Amino acid sequence: MQSKILLEEDEMPKRWYNVQADLPSPLDPPLHPATKKLVTPDDLRVIFPMELIRQEMSPQRYIDIPEEVREILTLWRPSPLYRAKRLEKALKTPAKIYYKYEGVSPPGSHKPNTAVAQAYYNMKEGIERIATETGAGQWGSALAFATSQFGLGCTVYMVRSSYAQKPYRKIMMQVWGAECIPSPSTKTNAGRTILEKYPETSGSLGIAISEAVEDAATHENTNYSLGSVLNHVCLHQTVVGLEAKEQLAMVDSYPDMVIGCVGGGSNFAGISFPFAGDKLTGRRKDVEIVAVEPAACPTLTKGIYTYDYGDVAGLTPLLKMYTLGHDFIPAAIHAGGLRYHGDSPLVSRFVHDGVMRAVAYNQNEVFEAAKLFAQTEGIIIAPETAHAVKAVVDEAMKCRQTGEEKVILFNNSGHGHFDLSAYDIYLQGRLEDYEYPTDLIRDSLARLPKVS
Amino acid sequence: MMVNLGLLINPVAGMGGRVGLKGTDGLVQEALMRGASPGSLARTVRFLRALPSSDVLFLTCSGDMGEAAFIEAGYRRCRVVYRYSGESTAADTKEACRTFLREGVSLILFCGGDGTARDVLEGSGGRTPILGIPAGVKMYSGVFALTPESAAALVSEWNGQCREAEVLDVDEDAYRKGELRTRLYGFARVPAMQGMVQHSKDVFESSDEESAKADIAMFLAEVIMGTPKTLYLLGPGSTTLRIASAFGLEKSLLGFDAVMGGHLVGRDLDERAILALLEKTDHARIIVSPLGMQGAVLGRGTQQISPGVIRKVGVENVIVIATPQKLAGTPSLFVDTGDPALDRAFGGTIRVITGYHVARRRALLSPAEWAGSSLR
Repeated sequence: MQSKILLEEDEMPKRWYNVQADLPSPLDPPLHPATKKLVTPDDLRVIFPMELIRQEMSPQRYIDIPEEVREILTLWRPSPLYRAKRLEKALKTPAKIYYKYEGVSPPGSHKPNTAVAQAYYNMKEGIERIATETGAGQWGSALAFATSQFGLGCTVYMVRSSYAQKPYRKIMMQVWGAECIPSPSTKTNAGRTILEKYPETSGSLGIAISEAVEDAATHENTNYSLGSVLNHVCLHQTVVGLEAKEQLAMVDSYPDMVIGCVGGGSNFAGISFPFAGDKLTGRRKDVEIVAVEPAACPTLTKGIYTYDYGDVAGLTPLLKMYTLGHDFIPAAIHAGGLRYHGDSPLVSRFVHDGVMRAVAYNQNEVFEAAKLFAQTEGIIIAPETAHAVKAVVDEAMKCRQTGEEKVILFNNSGHGHFDLSAYDIYLQGRLEDYEYPTDLIRDSLARLPKVS
Repeated sequence: MMVNLGLLINPVAGMGGRVGLKGTDGLVQEALMRGASPGSLARTVRFLRALPSSDVLFLTCSGDMGEAAFIEAGYRRCRVVYRYSGESTAADTKEACRTFLREGVSLILFCGGDGTARDVLEGSGGRTPILGIPAGVKMYSGVFALTPESAAALVSEWNGQCREAEVLDVDEDAYRKGELRTRLYGFARVPAMQGMVQHSKDVFESSDEESAKADIAMFLAEVIMGTPKTLYLLGPGSTTLRIASAFGLEKSLLGFDAVMGGHLVGRDLDERAILALLEKTDHARIIVSPLGMQGAVLGRGTQQISPGVIRKVGVENVIVIATPQKLAGTPSLFVDTGDPALDRAFGGTIRVITGYHVARRRALLSPAEWAGSSLR
């Protein structure tokens, strides 16, 4: 039995798959934050290149990947598909576990799949600098890498707790030539407002987004780039699932279950949308798709499906999604990339419609799964990814009970080499399990923007 | 920075434990006959020797209530302000504290156990901070340093900031019959331990305990406002006090009060009064904070909340609150309702509200596990 299944470079997908084409009805459109009317392409032009705006709203099933983008992606793509034989053996499960390993990219995660595409379209439209935010630093380092490939400037607003906890991610960004600023900063109005109110804040993705959007909107030569949530980001990530489908076909297999961790939703979208498409079109009705999130930030399992802002300051368009409220600042768990109050509108819609389901786990059980994974499969994974692994372990154990030989596919979205201090805290038994007291919060207040 | 400190020793503290008496209150002669020797003097000597400098002036008591330890430790800067004769008693402890207060001490150190802590709290009136050097048989109160050495470190690094800690004591008669019943006697101010709460510069939980209490209180006050038909039983402590004061209510400090729709419907209630109120309501919740060093959520110091009351309310309606600072000092939480089946119904973990819209999940030990892990 092979450990890994590989594709040749020329077998890398030439088109992205746009799941919007297979939705039974169109996605609820984004609304303007001030007028609450439909967002027009012109509204978005201030911060995004036209081609990405087109992709965001496109009904086309497949969109070509530009040759210049494919050329850079071949630095690490196609990524390997592993059969997790050693994990299966340790769990004594009849389940067949496969995982796509995205940690082979230069920044060490799935994030450059979209960063390269976004940098490319910005460069084509004459933009000189891109501003963005980053939580754990994976997105920031991915965009720093991508912009360096096209000679663009890059400013990254990094959530302050991560800036302190993960200095190596910051250094990576600097090596690739980007400027990395702890958020909230005094550089923007949004940052200054938060600092005035909470001078000691650890920051959040929502705050950092406000800062980066403001930076882009107030500088002519600068655009904004988002590493997750939006449709075009999910679109670019579908190379992961498309490759996985090919690779599984090489061993005559198709997953019974597809699993990924969810912060904003892009790595999960990447692995699952091509399979969700099969489910929507009836080709594979039974494939089960599971999103995994932290109990400290349980957007899909405990949030409300409604229109909300993407950021704290309310600068972004209102998106129809599962949300814990844009002013929610999640506990500083170590899976920084999963600390987001909202979720991809597409993933949210699928969970709402029952195409996918969601589960939530606490930090300690997640790290326990990550340790098991490292001791069997060898790879020390990111704490974000470990959420997916925890769900895989649980599903594989269910198979052990029932004797089912389910094929489980998950996205191993990145390595955890810069998260070793979190592992250290876990090993010392000092990791706190934070939770979101949903029942009590529901009892207290409704804090969401009213949209008629 | 401190002008002077008071220090007193309960010379017979800790004697009962070693000879199987489970406490020494009223049993000194018996303990001595069984061959017990006082350990509190030696522990105070350890404390004095561990002090990094000998600049601090101590006010103390004569003989074995203080002075003897200074002589043995070779610590010169002490002045005897209280003299006792015969065998030292609880009355001496209280009177020594009153003397310290008249002398204007900024902190009262005492070496003893829960019984001594009660006397010191009573004698000092609760406003002047106190700190226990552990030596007793029973130490359920949250006013003790872990060791004489950590007490020394705390004293030398103390910047004057205080936190609140419960003074609990066991009913010794019941205890000797094998029944553990703790009662809450009051709240003392103790030096806030620096560095006990790790990297807490976060918005989601406040880094100082007072604002953490305010955050928790604000959250729960909003919950109470949002559920006007639910009866809330607010347990002892200053955070619940703050919840009540959000509605302009004056809560009893040590008892359970009932609040509904922002109105006080019962003050300092006993079990019967609580059951009577529960008869008239469809939905109720209990809000409690863990008590003492060992983190008792229910069952120690909260006898009003009997198994019958908890069953009527439902374990899922027990809301536990605690500041991150408090949790850092209570590594394990446990319930001991007196009904093992009910204890088990709480499960292996419990949610603790630690800030505004923030909770942590903590392991919950059974009384048996707890006794194995932390009974000293």
